[in-house]
Amino acid sequence: MAKLLVVDDEANIRLLYAQELSDEGYQVVTAGSALEAVEKLESESFDLAVIDIKLKNESGIELLQRIVKERHTIPVILCTAFSCYKDDFSAWLADGYVVKSSDLHELKDEIARVLAKRQRGAYV
Amino acid sequence: MDWECCWSREQIEPENCPYIGEGEEDLLVSQRRRIVEKCVECPRFKNDLARMKGAGYPLSDVLPYILTEFQEQKTQMGAMLSFLNSKTREIKFLREVGLVLQTSLDLDEVLSIAMTAITAGKGFGMNRAFLLMTDKDRRHIRGYLGVGPRDYEEAWRTWEDISRSNFTLRQLARDFQKTKLSSEKVKFHDILNQLTVPLADQGHIFNRALTGKKPILVENALNNPDLDRGLARILGVDTFLVMPLISRNRRIGVIIADNCITHKPITLQDMQSLETFAFPVAFALERASLYERLQEEVAKQKAAYVKLREQQELIVKMEKMALVGKITSSIAHSIRNPLMVIGGFARTLLKATPDQDDRRGYLESIVRETRQLEDVLSEVLDYSESLFPVTDFWDLNELVGKAMGELEGALAQAGVHARLELAAELPMVRIDYKQISYCLKTITTTALATMEPGGELRIESVLDGDGVLLRISDDGKPLTQTAQEALTAPFFQTQELGDGVGLSLCKSILERQGNSLTILSRPGGGNTYSIRLLTRKENI
Repeated sequence: MAKLLVVDDEANIRLLYAQELSDEGYQVVTAGSALEAVEKLESESFDLAVIDIKLKNESGIELLQRIVKERHTIPVILCTAFSCYKDDFSAWLADGYVVKSSDLHELKDEIARVLAKRQRGAYV
Repeated sequence: MDWECCWSREQIEPENCPYIGEGEEDLLVSQRRRIVEKCVECPRFKNDLARMKGAGYPLSDVLPYILTEFQEQKTQMGAMLSFLNSKTREIKFLREVGLVLQTSLDLDEVLSIAMTAITAGKGFGMNRAFLLMTDKDRRHIRGYLGVGPRDYEEAWRTWEDISRSNFTLRQLARDFQKTKLSSEKVKFHDILNQLTVPLADQGHIFNRALTGKKPILVENALNNPDLDRGLARILGVDTFLVMPLISRNRRIGVIIADNCITHKPITLQDMQSLETFAFPVAFALERASLYERLQEEVAKQKAAYVKLREQQELIVKMEKMALVGKITSSIAHSIRNPLMVIGGFARTLLKATPDQDDRRGYLESIVRETRQLEDVLSEVLDYSESLFPVTDFWDLNELVGKAMGELEGALAQAGVHARLELAAELPMVRIDYKQISYCLKTITTTALATMEPGGELRIESVLDGDGVLLRISDDGKPLTQTAQEALTAPFFQTQELGDGVGLSLCKSILERQGNSLTILSRPGGGNTYSIRLLTRKENI
């Protein structure tokens, strides 16, 4: 069972992600801030992180950079309301990108795609 | 005694004196006036005097002395009266001219009255005059206007026309300005072109007149060893007057006047009158040319003001749009998360609700309506995000690669090869990805416009202190200063860059984000556009 870290500053969204992704058969751990996320990343191992670009007082991209810099080799999917990032973002650092929507199909598909890529050995 | 002359008679008949002409009939009845005006010069009276002497009249020896003295006084009086009349005319003329010169701000009007005054019979009556003026940078004195006939034929024709009309000097000047000024400006073009003299040439007669602040009368110029014979040859006369025009110690110019047609000598009195006249002319010319320059400046300032106002209005409009964008975006973002939660949980509930459950319809409505609202929000966000920058850290090399990829078609069409020299391990730059991408593409398109097929466009990224430098170098025609100014002046029209909006927009985008754009035209050909991007957040 793949273990996911979901980072979002909105408690209800964390709850929604946890519910929906658990239904898909993932083990879901949530964090409400970048700090909490880093703590969890240091104490547990994850197969994938789903991070909101816009965290309260922080930037999801800075968290992403930290993950890369500190050699956490887990893949990251960024979520945001900014649809304009979509064209360019996947080109660097993040492994996937989705625009936030109540329809989580796109996110679920992206998670499946990135995990499959990881299983093929791309991140090991 | 029976006298030959009529002096002894109180009244006479017309046939008694052959010297009383038509209109002088009153002298027939006025003995006193007849003696004073006619008899004293009459040969018959002289004969009577001789007869008196012969007859031994006691006063006949004294009378000739008195008579001679009287005649001398009369001649002197006549000369003084004529001088007085000419001076009165001159004062009247100077007053008339002075009035125009004092009030006119129109350079053409001043020129017309001055040149007409010098050349008209009612003025100084010179045949021809040339006006030379110091140029704007005050380095040369140059021929500006020549007035007068070119040959005898033209002279007689013009003078006949003028004598037929009964114009005052002012009317003559007005007529000249209206009908002749523009043609006179070109008529003596050949002579005027040869009259340019550097103000530093102290030995030249023009500068000598200006330095001495006195007119110089040149006579017998072709045989005068102190003079440049060239000037006499250009003018075609060997006698001419050089009159300096000085106003408040500023050298305004020089007037050359001559009598090229009549060859009438230029008298000391001509010189003195012209000297008196030169001062108001110099002053009026200076004032009118300053006024003309002032008008030019005012027109320029007005145009600049209009442009500035248009730009300000545009900026205000853009700022309003950006504000609208920010507000819209902020509202949209705060609605989006709750909407996602509502719609997301509705879907979760829907999945767990059996097909036959009545509540399924309600849940489906929530999902459908949420979806619709999310679509509307996406549209609003797409629009508002285009109005204000969204800065973040980006990899510049990645951006360059992608933007140049999009320009492949344009490069191929221009026949230009792009060479990327991107430094490895550059720090991330804090930019608005879309806007910087736009700037790079705009600069590249601008550069392509100056390049020939077969040219090479080099795009480099290098570390530059706490920033990253992106350099785009073309090998096209170097941009002129004017074209480069297009950078700082929106809507600046240049031949090379069209309306220049693209580049000026790039500059304002970059500067708003704390970055900079400079253009350097290499003397050997080609231009380098440098964008300096910041890598640190606190610099913004």
